[in-house]
Amino acid sequence: MNKYLIVTALFVLAVITGLLIGPAPLDSTILQLRLSRVVLGIFAGGIMAFCGGILQGLFGNPLVEPYTLGSASGAALGAACGILFVGILNPLFAFLGSLGVGFFVYTIARMEGGLLRDRLILAGVVMSFLCSALVMLIMVMGGRELYEVLYLLMGYLGVIIDASNRWYYIVLMVVSLGLVGFLYRYYRELDIISQGIETAAGLGVNIERLSLIIFVVTSLIIGITVSMVGAIGFVGLVVPHISKLLFGAKHLRSLPASFLLGATFLLFADTLARVLTVYELPVGVVTSIVGVPFFIYLYRR
Amino acid sequence: MLRISQITISHLPKSRILIIVTLLFFVVCTNTPEPGMRVVSLSPAMTEIIYALDADVSLVGVTTLCDYPPQARNKPKVGDFSNPSLERIMGMQPTLVIVHLPEQRRIQDQLERFDVNIFVSETRTLADIYAEIRKLGTLLNRSQQAESLVHTMQADLQPISPARRKRVYIELSPRPLITIGAGSFLNELIELAGGQNIFSDLDKDYPIVQQEEVIRRNPEVILVLHPVAVGSRSGWDNVDALKYDRVYADINQDHLMRPGPRLVEGFNTLREIVGE
Amino acid sequence: MKSIVVNTISFAYNDDAVLKNITLDITEGDFVGIIGPNGAGKSTLLRIICRILHPQHGTVLLFGDDIAQMHGKQIAQYLAFVPQETYFSLNFTVEDVVRMGRYPYLSPFQRERCDDRDAVDRALHAAHVDMFRHRQINSLSSGERQRVVIARALAQAPRILILDEPTSHLDLHHQHAIMELLGNLNKEGMSILVVNHDLNLASLYCRRLILLHEGSVFAQGTPGSIINEQTLKQIYQTDVTIIQHPHKNVPQIFLK
Repeated sequence: MNKYLIVTALFVLAVITGLLIGPAPLDSTILQLRLSRVVLGIFAGGIMAFCGGILQGLFGNPLVEPYTLGSASGAALGAACGILFVGILNPLFAFLGSLGVGFFVYTIARMEGGLLRDRLILAGVVMSFLCSALVMLIMVMGGRELYEVLYLLMGYLGVIIDASNRWYYIVLMVVSLGLVGFLYRYYRELDIISQGIETAAGLGVNIERLSLIIFVVTSLIIGITVSMVGAIGFVGLVVPHISKLLFGAKHLRSLPASFLLGATFLLFADTLARVLTVYELPVGVVTSIVGVPFFIYLYRR
Repeated sequence: MLRISQITISHLPKSRILIIVTLLFFVVCTNTPEPGMRVVSLSPAMTEIIYALDADVSLVGVTTLCDYPPQARNKPKVGDFSNPSLERIMGMQPTLVIVHLPEQRRIQDQLERFDVNIFVSETRTLADIYAEIRKLGTLLNRSQQAESLVHTMQADLQPISPARRKRVYIELSPRPLITIGAGSFLNELIELAGGQNIFSDLDKDYPIVQQEEVIRRNPEVILVLHPVAVGSRSGWDNVDALKYDRVYADINQDHLMRPGPRLVEGFNTLREIVGE
Repeated sequence: MKSIVVNTISFAYNDDAVLKNITLDITEGDFVGIIGPNGAGKSTLLRIICRILHPQHGTVLLFGDDIAQMHGKQIAQYLAFVPQETYFSLNFTVEDVVRMGRYPYLSPFQRERCDDRDAVDRALHAAHVDMFRHRQINSLSSGERQRVVIARALAQAPRILILDEPTSHLDLHHQHAIMELLGNLNKEGMSILVVNHDLNLASLYCRRLILLHEGSVFAQGTPGSIINEQTLKQIYQTDVTIIQHPHKNVPQIFLK
């Protein structure tokens, strides 16, 4: 019972510090600015950790996350293409990239009947490399857009919200959160799948259909998220582990806890980044620098 | 089989290869008339300066970004600004290649392995620009013209000292927010024109900054050097520039971003905006 | 009443035929063992009956209904499968694992009802694992874990229990405990279908044996009618001596 209180309190603390701390003196317009940044942080951190948790559960592999499955890299590639060829960061490109790479990985892994889990991860990692290479190519070809692509790769919460994109962002967030809720209903299936595909099939879980649904929906969510704030790494890999360490194996608890912890973690990282310098640091840099030692400490304990 | 073919190639007389290569070069050479000075400029600003010095006969290669004066577009291209092609550059048989730092450090490293003079343009101050014009004038045998160009520019860029300097914010990119720091000649230009760059305390030339930091520094004038509109940003309502409608977007950014003769025009625009 | 009817099933991985035109049935309340040498297709047959694999040809009827037309959860309400290997990559409690057996009866976000909790309690009790209820699954021995897996299958409240080599890797005590457990369940009316490599165990507990060889049913019948020296010589290329069990009237095999 205590754990829940602590995690919730941490989350509230992260939100409050995120709203109160910053370079500018606090007034209603600054609060509005920080609020949108905090909302983006909650959204992005929560989504990345949640999707990481779902994918780790589905594929029974602790190394799986939006990055290792190629979805995040695919989304970044799509978004980078959008920047280069259309001139704007188009979420459509991002989720087309995410879905495209996702489907490709899925097809490679699905060959010869049955979904081969090991092959899926291998295919995902390989496609991730390919996407990174193509993004590099785009960065080399681009001129001043280079920075935008760079920040896209590392994650960027300093997005300017104005009349042209406010509703657009709100709608995308609501849709993504709806999809997260939709995925959450598979918590029982994920518990069961952790005990082996045959066990799950024997209990009546339609693994192939479930894999396809989770794959497509997470690709979509990750595509949307990356198009909004870039591919924030590390959160999706590590937060689900921490969540399981704290709240046990059951996905009914570990998935929402992942969402909350991911949001908390990203908010703290972002607040830290904003206070440290007047420069805008890519938030992914901070999550990795702060997160890795924290994770090693937790895991050794 | 593999071994045999390797032996065959390595035993082919070197003189014969040399003849073939020389013949190929000869074919290329006969297509271009002007001997002597052959300049490839990878910097749009330096291209403008070369034209201003009336030395464009020596200019044999430019980048796709070199679009001013309009005649410059007709010069052979060796690639774009961020990615010039080493082969195309060397294909022009240049005697002098002008590279612009920091963007072209890689191509500079590659060029250094060849027997070609490299002119490094790295403009962080207006004094750098004047020095580079003079140096280029000497190299191109146009010292006189260079001296008079520098004098004209210096005469036109007369510093203005208003009673109070307006706080100026220049935005080069909206995502992430990129602006001008103390390391850029543009910072100097703003001050000459009577303004005060709000990020002049940052040493970097093009720092990436936080939205809140911009709002906190509360610019009175915003110059937008990118195509995205700065109208209704959430949280920016109390920024003076927006309150008093002093956001300027329709500025020819080449006048401000290219350290060349047209800086004078950029300066005049700045002076009008800041001095109002 | 037939609980399972397997009708002319053929199955091949790529071009390798594993099962060739298999037809058999399981009567309700029976205790059937599938035996046969490695590669005979025993596990494949079980997986097809549980609809984990889909045959290229033939049908499986579960209490008269074609399983290809049934919903996965519906099948799991009649038939529980204990696979050869269960992974415990996540550390659940024993009770959590057994409660997963109620999955076929629950829709998403539905809370467990009284009868779900009762079924879990009964399963924990029947498999003699109720004393471990709150222990972490990874703290148990492999024999205890196997009993937990059987308890999970029992929580499904199935009418037929299908097990793929439930006693492999287990010591004598746990082998005996598992087989006794299956025998008791069978006495209470549950049909049991078990693949077993250990012919002596199969002979001791199963009422009927099905001998698979090279993807076909070689013979089926009581242990006494199946296990004889000629058949074993023919199928396993091994000379054996067969004598009667001293207490039960079933054949037991000794290597020569």
